[in-house]
Amino acid sequence: MNRRNALQRVAIMMGGVISAPTMVAMMQGCSTPGTESATSFSFSPDYQKLVAEIAEVIIPKTDTPGAKEAGVGSFIETMIGDCYKEFQQKHFVAGLDAISAKAKEAGGDFASLSEEQKISILKSMETGAKDELELQKGKAEAKIRDSETGLEKSVDKSTEEEVPTPFFNIMKELTLFGYFTSEPGCKEALAYLPIPGRYEGCVTLEPGQKAWAL
Amino acid sequence: MYIQGKGTEANTYDAIVVGSGISGGWAAKELTEKGLKVLILERGRDVKHVEDYTTAQSGPWEFPHHGRVDQKVKEDYWAVVRTGYAANEEHRHMFEKDSENPYEEKKRFDWIRGYHTGGRSLMWGRQSYRWNKRDFTANAEEGIGVDWPVRYEDVAPWYDYVERFAGISGSKDGLDVLPDGVFQPPMEMNCVELEVKKGIESNFPGRHMTIGRVAHLTAPTEEQTALGRASCQFRNRCMRGCPYGAYFSTQSATLPAAVNTGNLTLINDKIVHQVIFDDELKKAVGVRAIDQNTKEEVEYFSKIIFLNASAINSAWIMMQSKSKTHPNGLGNASDQLGRNIMDHHLAAGASGSWEGFDDQYYVGRRPNGIYVPRFTNWGKDKRDFVRGFGYQGSAGRSNGDGTNGEDTFGADFKTAMTKPGPWYFGMQGFGETLPDERNRMELTTNKDKWGLPIISFDAEYRDNEWKMRETMVNEAANMLEAAGVKNVSTYHDKEKAPGIGIHEMGTARMGLDPKTSCLNKNNQVWGAENVFVTDGAFMTSSSCVNPSLTYMAMTARAADFAVREMKKMNL
Repeated sequence: MNRRNALQRVAIMMGGVISAPTMVAMMQGCSTPGTESATSFSFSPDYQKLVAEIAEVIIPKTDTPGAKEAGVGSFIETMIGDCYKEFQQKHFVAGLDAISAKAKEAGGDFASLSEEQKISILKSMETGAKDELELQKGKAEAKIRDSETGLEKSVDKSTEEEVPTPFFNIMKELTLFGYFTSEPGCKEALAYLPIPGRYEGCVTLEPGQKAWAL
Repeated sequence: MYIQGKGTEANTYDAIVVGSGISGGWAAKELTEKGLKVLILERGRDVKHVEDYTTAQSGPWEFPHHGRVDQKVKEDYWAVVRTGYAANEEHRHMFEKDSENPYEEKKRFDWIRGYHTGGRSLMWGRQSYRWNKRDFTANAEEGIGVDWPVRYEDVAPWYDYVERFAGISGSKDGLDVLPDGVFQPPMEMNCVELEVKKGIESNFPGRHMTIGRVAHLTAPTEEQTALGRASCQFRNRCMRGCPYGAYFSTQSATLPAAVNTGNLTLINDKIVHQVIFDDELKKAVGVRAIDQNTKEEVEYFSKIIFLNASAINSAWIMMQSKSKTHPNGLGNASDQLGRNIMDHHLAAGASGSWEGFDDQYYVGRRPNGIYVPRFTNWGKDKRDFVRGFGYQGSAGRSNGDGTNGEDTFGADFKTAMTKPGPWYFGMQGFGETLPDERNRMELTTNKDKWGLPIISFDAEYRDNEWKMRETMVNEAANMLEAAGVKNVSTYHDKEKAPGIGIHEMGTARMGLDPKTSCLNKNNQVWGAENVFVTDGAFMTSSSCVNPSLTYMAMTARAADFAVREMKKMNL
């Protein structure tokens, strides 16, 4: 299995919801040596709570535990701190700033808002993320196409800017990844079979059968 | 510095095997079973079967990043991370920190190492295929590199022999391009794989799809059970080490067999860096090693030596083994030592989705996929490149049934994400690389922390490989589309470099002539005939199939020859 397949598998596990830019961020986070210290990062106590609340809106408690119960908030803090470069960390915190500000406009602390209000804020972040990506895409295209000749230029990697992945994409990807690889995510939300003992290639689905964890 | 008197006696064995990976384990098993007192020198730490597979039972939540790689790890494992999977938390401890084992790259080379008892036999891909007849004759037919001094018929009985002991699961397909062997029952294909197989075989006469042939037990023999091995449990956590001994590794198979003879000594932490050659006796008398922890230099002596340190490191040892008789390094009158580095090039293929079979699923995590044997330049097929490639791939269902409509988060979305999603099918090529003496490794004047020379690599994919890769992509797409796979997309990772297949080989090739090769037809070093090299270094060409089974067979063959020669007092 190569890197592409590894990513593809993550993508598949996430039901295709992991976007190409999010994958790029993972690879930036996880394949380019960074110089900054990875251990000094942490969210403020308010933001620790906020991240856990947002994750719970993405994966709420139903008949199975939600993201909060699965500890996804602190997992995301660990991931952002250890696996992403500083420019991406800052961009993520800026996203939390934006959500805080939107929550204040709506009446206060994000956690204190109604479900509808929380969802509406996340929807607006999701739309914002799409716009952000469109803008980045436009810039990238402008860069590699010479405006006078219309010819494509080769992209010089050394001068490539570090373009952050939008907050919402990373937040959602890490919530899904963190939740569906957590103990309650694997054992309660999905079908968990640590030692299958056999492989049967063609098995008829039972009504309501869940997808396999792992 | 020779250790005199008792020291020498204490450090003297019939045979020394350098390295305990796939081929070293086989050398030790064969030689001990034939009655020789054997010393394995392993440069890394010990990994005990089962008890040292520390993550074998861990769920993803038990790792701080649920498996993923963090920034610090990227610095320490700068080559390992290039694989995209090897540095993951669940099996990272099986791979080496590149920061502590540096190498240099005139051109990018992905050198992925496992320095411990068992070597990479613990983390290998386990795909096990015989070479075909033409794999051994292609060099001579095409005037590439040098001719193999052996033919399929020479190796075939040894394939039988190692397959029987190792345990290879596979299906007999009767194909000349992929000879059948001694197989345990094959693993199953799933519904979509069966459909794609039908689609490929009906649309492309002469092309085939089979289940991967893999070194996993599916019906253990008495011999295997007696060694403590059991059937595959379909957990697909193989690279962490298998607590059931279900896949072939040094620990599960060859090491316990060798230990059972009472003839084996295994010493860890000894980095062998030289073969000691006696110019008067005209043969090797032992090896020189450095303890990786104490840095103490130690010498060990024996009648015969098997180098199984991996292709790169066996060549590295030979390059440092200079004497009056071998001024260019051991067996290097040809200047071919360290040249002709080959690997299998991959990361080019296609994937897509399958519509239908919504009510079908599977049970178990099969540690194996499908295999499409080589079809290019085979029979009437002719291409603008020589040789060929096989495809490895699989079908499966993603999670998330897609019924969540507009919801991209929330309760309905969550529920949808816990249901089996659409089927996908993907496959990628594993292509043969040609021997080219420009693809080489050299010793630099820079030293590692043990004062030993650091290797510099200067190897790259060349015209034949690049042309083949285009075809790997295009034919994958053609076949998937013809077979009914929808939304087919292709991929071709052009950043990958030699080494990424972790099949490095060819650095001390076999041949018919000491002027153009390093080893003779029995894996003996030219001019040092009591030294045998039976890891990937001996490979004269690379075929496109995974190489380990061939290393096993050639090692058993060479060990048999060595002991017969010793009995005749020829070594």
